[in-house]
Amino acid sequence: MRLLLDRFPELAPSLWTDDDTVEVSVEGDGNVAVLWRLRDDPELNFWFLADAAAVDFGVGERFEVVYHLYSDRHPAWLRVRARVDRSDPHLPTITGLWEGAMFHEREMYDMMGIVFDGNRDLRRIYMSPDYRSFPQRKDFLLPDDAADSSAAGVNPLERPETWDLSGGSEGLSRGAVARAEGKA
Amino acid sequence: MTAEPTIRDPLEIERAEEARLRVAAGLAPLPRSGGEFAGFESVGLPDRPPQTDREQEVYTLDEGEMLVNMGPQHPSTHGVMRLVLKVRGEIVVDIDPVLGYLHRGIEKLCENATYTTVMTYVDPMDYLSAMHNEHAPAIAFEKLYGVKAPRRAEYIRALVVELNRVFSHGLMMGFLALDMGGLTPILYGFINRDEVVDLLSAISGQRMLFNFFRVGGVNFDANDEFFSRLGTWRAGVLKTIEMNERILTDNEIFRGRTIGMGVLSGKEAISLGVSGPNLRASGVPFDVRKAHPYSIYPELEFEVITQSGGDVYARYMQRVAELKQSIHLIDQIVDKMPHGPVQAQVPGIIRPKPGRAYAAVESPRGLYSVYAISDGGPNPYRFRMRDPSFISLQAIPKLMPGRLIADTMAVMASFDPVMGGVDK
Repeated sequence: MRLLLDRFPELAPSLWTDDDTVEVSVEGDGNVAVLWRLRDDPELNFWFLADAAAVDFGVGERFEVVYHLYSDRHPAWLRVRARVDRSDPHLPTITGLWEGAMFHEREMYDMMGIVFDGNRDLRRIYMSPDYRSFPQRKDFLLPDDAADSSAAGVNPLERPETWDLSGGSEGLSRGAVARAEGKA
Repeated sequence: MTAEPTIRDPLEIERAEEARLRVAAGLAPLPRSGGEFAGFESVGLPDRPPQTDREQEVYTLDEGEMLVNMGPQHPSTHGVMRLVLKVRGEIVVDIDPVLGYLHRGIEKLCENATYTTVMTYVDPMDYLSAMHNEHAPAIAFEKLYGVKAPRRAEYIRALVVELNRVFSHGLMMGFLALDMGGLTPILYGFINRDEVVDLLSAISGQRMLFNFFRVGGVNFDANDEFFSRLGTWRAGVLKTIEMNERILTDNEIFRGRTIGMGVLSGKEAISLGVSGPNLRASGVPFDVRKAHPYSIYPELEFEVITQSGGDVYARYMQRVAELKQSIHLIDQIVDKMPHGPVQAQVPGIIRPKPGRAYAAVESPRGLYSVYAISDGGPNPYRFRMRDPSFISLQAIPKLMPGRLIADTMAVMASFDPVMGGVDK
């Protein structure tokens, strides 16, 4: 832990520990630089990305993307929390450091609507491609009234109404268009 | 399609059939126009523009390539998942896994459940390792609530998760053979599984979705009858496993199809986030039970087993070795089992102090972890689960290009994904 403070004096104010976890916080776009140094520093050597998850702290608050790292040199899990602005949720991707972060980021995008800049496959992973809400946000209401959810349709990547459907497509996309027209 | 039925010239049908076969064999280019081509339709291209570079790459066809859907109801996809294979003849060019057919939103459900009822929701995630699914939240909630399970409860927990690992690995041996055309090993695998499941239902009351772990202990104590049945099972289990091994391990065809197939290097595996037996089969000695010990594992003697090959055969051998190791661990646990209570004094509805906790366990498929946040209320504010098979699945598109379609199933089975866990 002292080593961690030597290398990252700027993170000292956010340091928090319990019996088997060390936790630091970074501002949103600092995540790549910090994780990169944590991974490649020969003495820290946090080589395994155990988890990457998003947390929603509610309307008017913030998102947090939480990374859990493991290193053989240290007995504790390292948790890195990156704050993300809730009104404009953008964060640099870490797929350049760990390829396996791809599915984590796709899931976070699908469930929370956080856009990872630089990720080359940021599609929905669980919900269908024309789905327009982000179900794990705290302001996502239960399915009966999902259409009233304020989390619906805020992502610029997904605008089914702009798709060229003149080829007479069927099924899901048509439903999305009907919904979009109904809203307008 | 609402085409008028017409009577067609038999010769024309024959010619069309020949053309279709030529396309299927990769000798002729795919008809680009789409529509009907003697009963063959070029299906699979989405009816909307691609959203990302990667999607564009997969869904753009060169001459002679076509898209084939494997699944969602394909028997060897281990659940409901669709692989979009881009193939040239019978050679795989690219793979795009399409998930979500089994998505139930378990994380969201758990955020609306009390801490005790979360255990019932996590069971059907990775349904072949339900005990492990309950173990991680139990540890995390105990950290949040500041309670410790009694020692006998910890021993019973370790006993049931190792029993669970035995049947999960035993089934993997069978499924791997099944996906390559061998029917017998899966029957032995299921005989073994039924015996273990009977044991687990004797202690928990359920066959598959156990709902056995509680915050601060386990639901039922193990009685003498359970231990006597465990002894009977223990006497015969190695025989079933060895029968399976005799069929597979030295089998010429099995070795021919698995050695050198789907080689994943240790470095790639780490980058892809692959964990558990699949990572150890690539030579990386990472086992959560040793790396970050939980429960009673510091008190047990065992080594982290690794293989050097990183191919399908190494992943199979890794499972066999771990299976025997688990039986060895069960012996030790039964030997050391202390007496005492199995449940700490915990109310039915708990309200932990605001805080956060992370807990990881070694499930048969790798690192399974839970990150729980409490806001002081009766249900978790955020409940995050990291399922190992979800992450390991990313290795398949990396390994398959240049291989045959038939080998896709062997490689998939060697990673042993469970779709209930992948789709959450």
